[in-house]
Amino acid sequence: MNVNYLELANHPIMWLAAAIAISVVILQSVIFIRKSLAAAAEEGITNKQIKMAVKSSVIASIGPAIVILVTMISLIISMGAPVSWMRLSFIGSVNYEAMAAGFGAQAMGTTLDNLDPMAFSCGVWVMCCGSLGWLVFTLLFTDKMEKVNHLLSRGRQKMVPIISAGAMLGAFANLSSGNFFNAEGGFDLLGAPAIATICGCILMMILTKLARTKNIGWLREWAFAIAMFSGMIIGSVWNSMV
Amino acid sequence: MDKKSYYSETYMPGIIRWGKATMLLGIITMFLPPLVFSAVFGYWPPISAILTGTLAQISVSGAFYVVEPISYFPILGIPGTYMTFLSGNTSNMRLPCSSVAQEAAGVEFGSRQGTIISTIGIGVSVIVNIIILTIGAIGSNVILGILPESVTSALNFLLPALFGAVFGQFAVSRPKLAVVSIVIVFAANWLSKNGYLNFLGGFAGSVVILIAVFGSIFAGSLIYKKELADDTEEQVK
Repeated sequence: MNVNYLELANHPIMWLAAAIAISVVILQSVIFIRKSLAAAAEEGITNKQIKMAVKSSVIASIGPAIVILVTMISLIISMGAPVSWMRLSFIGSVNYEAMAAGFGAQAMGTTLDNLDPMAFSCGVWVMCCGSLGWLVFTLLFTDKMEKVNHLLSRGRQKMVPIISAGAMLGAFANLSSGNFFNAEGGFDLLGAPAIATICGCILMMILTKLARTKNIGWLREWAFAIAMFSGMIIGSVWNSMV
Repeated sequence: MDKKSYYSETYMPGIIRWGKATMLLGIITMFLPPLVFSAVFGYWPPISAILTGTLAQISVSGAFYVVEPISYFPILGIPGTYMTFLSGNTSNMRLPCSSVAQEAAGVEFGSRQGTIISTIGIGVSVIVNIIILTIGAIGSNVILGILPESVTSALNFLLPALFGAVFGQFAVSRPKLAVVSIVIVFAANWLSKNGYLNFLGGFAGSVVILIAVFGSIFAGSLIYKKELADDTEEQVK
């Protein structure tokens, strides 16, 4: 009865099942990139612009991907490598996955650090069922959401960049806001996460301004990574001081 | 065929067709690991347990299924929305890569050129993420051993700095809107954290996102009224 569920969870056939699912994500990206390259030629986008876009996206992806990797390892400890690998390449984020797996385990009367094969299985089912909402909603409604933009811009071309700036500023102010509150719901501007956020923001402002006004190509590509890693280092140094 | 019609008559319909097909395929193949585990090893959990767990998860995430795609759509556009909600990691990778790519290529955000560049940027980030995670998943034990404690603890501050940096990129072009949006967002979060939105129950979190995004867009349309007014005249012509 005492089966080690992790041996089953890490079985080659589980790797295969996860790989098939992940290949769909890769397939979609490859198709979309190829279509975009064809459209880029039609729209008069130069090869140089495409190269800069690709390069800057690679540079910007590496840091966050390493963070995802580190958090994935914490998920691997309870859910095994193949499932964690699939879920974080799919619609996942570690918070969601750990929560969903936890709910699944709970429904079987146990917890994530005390799994048996049946509770593990239930956890994986819940992870997948719980994320269906996002996938089904975007499957059905993405092509109809253009109406949201039309509603917001009322057909005014100049409103488009204002909409994206407003949406980005609002979304990222909101994502950052948690770093500026303490547990009691008061403001805390001097915590290490707050310092990292502020430094990342100010450095990005300076570097972006510099890259734009002096038209420095390499800085356009690197500004984000420099701001992100400097903010991280300053935040962690601050953390070790206080 | 002129430029406009290639984009709207060939590119977008192709993206939508393949977007729907890959989402559907994704939904089906996602269930392979649990199916294989249950069928091959014989561990079928009771349907009631799966339902209980799923309902618990829906009570937490349910509103976000709708709120997130709608809130991020003005930034991601049609292709970006398909990619983001298949591959996940919205705020830490897809949105930053979309905006960083558009900035580097020097195209106007949200324009046709912007959407194409953003799609390429997001696609590249999906592939980079999968490559790194694949290496990591296969070598997870080895990697845990290599990374010193100081590095893993410093990585806790990468996301806060990333959020600040994305905000900064847009704050440079629109400083007034940046300040106003900070005020809106912090007011909404303060209300929520101090229990003033408790009457919304489980919806408080998603209402805060909606206020943050659409409140800032609305504020933008007021702040840049003059800029917009010029445009209206052009349209009348």
